[in-house]
Amino acid sequence: MSQCETVQESIGRWLDGELPAADGDAVRRHLAGCTDCAAARQRLEKIQLSLSSVLAAETPELKFAPFWRELQRRIEEKRPWHEELIEGCRSIFTLPRLAWAVPAAIMLVLGFLSLAKWPIGGQASNYASVESIDAHGRNVALLREDETKTTIIWLYQNPEGENENVEEAAKSGPAF
Amino acid sequence: MLKKLRNPVLLFSLAFLTVAGWLSAAENNPQAVQVTIRTILAGDKSDEFDPKLKGMEQQLKPLKHRSFRALKDETQTIAWQGSKSFEIPGGRSLTITPQDFQENRIGLKVRLIQGDKPLIDTTVKIANKGNFILGGPAHEGGSLVLSISAAAQ
Repeated sequence: MSQCETVQESIGRWLDGELPAADGDAVRRHLAGCTDCAAARQRLEKIQLSLSSVLAAETPELKFAPFWRELQRRIEEKRPWHEELIEGCRSIFTLPRLAWAVPAAIMLVLGFLSLAKWPIGGQASNYASVESIDAHGRNVALLREDETKTTIIWLYQNPEGENENVEEAAKSGPAF
Repeated sequence: MLKKLRNPVLLFSLAFLTVAGWLSAAENNPQAVQVTIRTILAGDKSDEFDPKLKGMEQQLKPLKHRSFRALKDETQTIAWQGSKSFEIPGGRSLTITPQDFQENRIGLKVRLIQGDKPLIDTTVKIANKGNFILGGPAHEGGSLVLSISAAAQ
């Protein structure tokens, strides 16, 4: 790349004051001795001048005030509750969240079923269902304790050694 | 398919269902039953209530005895259709045979014998981790009360 090409690439930044002082001085010295680069500088200065004059002429005619007023109105506008609800739902029920809702729903259902199976608070029925009972001729009482839901099978047996007399045995049992 | 599997939601769902299915299968097919027999002596000679029986007051309340004393606790693990005997004071023994496990209830065949004489044979279904009470056999001037509890494993 020739020195002229390098300088011509830097003219724009030099004119905008963006070059370091040393580089700016080098460009200035080159422009003083090079007609081609000086012409390029003039072209750039003309363009800059034209743009500045156009912008200066048009800016006052741009109507910013109505834009800001409309923006302010929209910010402060109170929307109907149903619109806010719909908007809220839209933000909540996004596709990724709905995707997570599937396993969450499965967990809830399984949790509910587990709770139904294992009731919390110790209030599960502890009652035993007695399917068969054979006391071999002795008396038996079957009792259900309501508070703890406990089933009690009481075998009436004579004190110590067995006595096969059932009537006597029955007398020995506790009164419930 | 592999791309789909990278989706964390899908992976989580698959893993969750696998674990839930495995746990459910394990819960419905327990390998054995842990049976605990607590032997209590109920009498009327005093008003003693053994502190070890705290938590069972309500269960023992219907029995109109004045004193309750824990004699022994014994726990054994029994395989399905297997049976184990528990030694009960007074030369008695209690044989437990787990029958089945349905709807979180354990079927137990219970046989209490004294010497070689059977005292009672019963088949009950109790809640998993629940208990029932078998009482009545005379002992030391009182009555023996057996709390029979079972937990599927």
